[in-house]
Amino acid sequence: MANSALATLESALRARNLDRTLTTALPPLERTDPSAYAPAGLTDLDACLRSGLPRGQVSELAGSRSSGRLTLLWRFLAAATRRGEIAAFIDTLDRLDVASAQAAGIDLDRLLWIRGHAMARAEGDVLERALDRAIKALSLVVQAGGFGLVAIDLADVPPVALKRLPFNTWLRVQRAVEGSDTACVLVGPEPLARSAGGVTLTLDGRTSWTGEADRSRRLSGVDMQVRVVSPRRRVGGTVPVAATAATGC
Amino acid sequence: MVGVMLAAAGSDAAMVLAVGREFSPRLEAFGALEVSLDLDGLARVFGDARTIAHEIRRTAADRGLRVRVAIAGTCTAARLLVRHRIGVTVVEPGGDALALAGLPLDLLAEIAAPQADAAALGTDGDSRGVTAAARPASTPAPALHGRAGRSAQALGLSRAQSDEQKQVQALCHTFRQWGLRTLGQVAALPADDVAARLGQFGVEWQRRARGEDARPLVPAVPEERFEQALELEWPIEGLEPLSFVLGRLMEPLSAHLERKDRGAAVLHVRLHLVTKTVHARSLELPTPMRDARTLRTLALLDLESHPPGAAIDRVVVAVDPTPGRIVQYSLLTRPLPAPEQISTLMARLGALMGEGRCGSPAPVDSWRPGAFTMRPFAPTDEGPAVEVSSALPSVPVTALRRFRHPVPARVAAERGAPVRVTTDRRGLLGGRVERAAGPWRTSGGWWESEWPGGARMQTPEGRGAHGGAGTAAVGVDATAAASVTPAPLLPPSQPWDRDEWDVTLSDGATYRLFRQRDADAWFIDGIVD
Repeated sequence: MANSALATLESALRARNLDRTLTTALPPLERTDPSAYAPAGLTDLDACLRSGLPRGQVSELAGSRSSGRLTLLWRFLAAATRRGEIAAFIDTLDRLDVASAQAAGIDLDRLLWIRGHAMARAEGDVLERALDRAIKALSLVVQAGGFGLVAIDLADVPPVALKRLPFNTWLRVQRAVEGSDTACVLVGPEPLARSAGGVTLTLDGRTSWTGEADRSRRLSGVDMQVRVVSPRRRVGGTVPVAATAATGC
Repeated sequence: MVGVMLAAAGSDAAMVLAVGREFSPRLEAFGALEVSLDLDGLARVFGDARTIAHEIRRTAADRGLRVRVAIAGTCTAARLLVRHRIGVTVVEPGGDALALAGLPLDLLAEIAAPQADAAALGTDGDSRGVTAAARPASTPAPALHGRAGRSAQALGLSRAQSDEQKQVQALCHTFRQWGLRTLGQVAALPADDVAARLGQFGVEWQRRARGEDARPLVPAVPEERFEQALELEWPIEGLEPLSFVLGRLMEPLSAHLERKDRGAAVLHVRLHLVTKTVHARSLELPTPMRDARTLRTLALLDLESHPPGAAIDRVVVAVDPTPGRIVQYSLLTRPLPAPEQISTLMARLGALMGEGRCGSPAPVDSWRPGAFTMRPFAPTDEGPAVEVSSALPSVPVTALRRFRHPVPARVAAERGAPVRVTTDRRGLLGGRVERAAGPWRTSGGWWESEWPGGARMQTPEGRGAHGGAGTAAVGVDATAAASVTPAPLLPPSQPWDRDEWDVTLSDGATYRLFRQRDADAWFIDGIVD
């Protein structure tokens, strides 16, 4: 009886996001219904992720240049917009190529593109201001709610600048996105937030080519190895994903 | 009992309406100079119908208007009579048909075109000396709001009436050919025979000839002003105190809009400053909205970007009303955020990132590299909402991370193909070319300016660098270059002529390079990622 009443109370507190006030350790509230995930529409990857990126959590796409970070992000954005959701992309250094985004299948009418300022030399105070604005924009979008997927591109921001960010930056973002239906994605050179509830996709990719002769050779795509890490959600593994080169971009 | 007041040509339309409103709130305007009044119940105030008619005429004369007044049992009968008889005409109840019987047939065409017959009144016998009826300077003109919209509406209406008038004229011509001259003769025709020969249209106008109304009177609702103003005892400076003032003004404005089921299409904020100037801002809202907090936030965010230059004496907030929004949610799709939320978010983002930095990307119909445009972010509920697997390609498509300012590069080339790429950009050190594919030559825009030859290239610094001798050469063949060329931007009117390469360097990354052919300069356009 007492256990039942306690469970009811805990459930009510959890529904109002007040469970942090409890002194007892509660088991994590993990949504398992399909709507709690933002799938990419790639069978193997979605299976490895247990349906997709978790909503209400901060996930990450990390990797070096040409590892396929943006390619995979485009895929998640395309899937979200094709489902009828709206998505936001915070483009810290204004690097989005509209033609390739369209070729990836993103419904551009449902994509909110927040453009940072393109800089000839991204360093110093100018870079810090750009980074600060991008994170503020991320907070605004997440707090506004209603977006299925919100992504911020930090891939070209030097790691030194990212390390100078206050330690609680991503914690604040995590708290803002918690409990919402928004899947938040950070794209960077290495894992930044390391959110316990989200997933980290570490990418290792190399471009593939067709044709041996100089004149017949062309870029055919990117072969990615996506390593999924999420200790709390107990998912993990490595998934190969092949991307094809866009035509006309 | 219906009264019709017809003013002489040249009269002030607003004044005609104002005189009508002094007698009855239920009035309908036919054109600018004719007003139909529902006079039921006025007998207790003014007396019998003839007294009411004379009172209307006297009031109009006081306002500088010369009018005819007719009172009959129906609006149509009164409209026909007022055109035929000068001064005051009053028909006793039940006497409409008799009063109309002797009227000429052509009046039917006139009531189909109120504007035309009003002008005609200025030339007939009664209007001698009336055409120049001017409003006394001391008489205040009633405010007319949304005059432009009303004019456009009136334009469409008068066009339709003009078509109807032509049809009625043709009908009258037919009646005359049948030997009919008066409305009474038309009214006496057997309705079945009229229907057989002239169709429903003929029957309808035969009823008018009998004085019957085709439809009930549609009262004209005066346009309402949605405006709130506040005089401040002490001038205020800064946006924080202004937010409280705006909140106080927006609340009643929002309540007024809600009562009338209206939304704000455009929000006007006028700040009267201590310098005796007015700081006016207008916000066009993407959808009709009336939430006070949203409107206040939008106004404040706009004023943050465009602050007033001095302290504020008086605050006026007004909106252009539009019919309220009707939202139908779906059980099957996830609802989108309300337009109020999106508007507020966009305003906040605009204030943070700058004007024109937020929206939906859109491709343009051009081969120009990196061409795009921005559109306002306004998602609709009519989304695709299709299965992911059927709408998306089975494999992802590679993305390009494009440098909006291409990065100048030093490229060593052998037989025209790049073999080594280096840059001065921190983090883009470059390296040996391991794989390369190209060149793909693209050019365009040459028809839009002086090209080829000394074509001007726009540089990020805003300088115009001429291709050829004026540009530091960076494209080298098997030897290192000494300097780099400023990166070219490609505004819509500039030509381009380039050879593109995809190269994988020894650092493991794959780049999109291009050689600008006129300047023989190399740039990194983007990174395949």
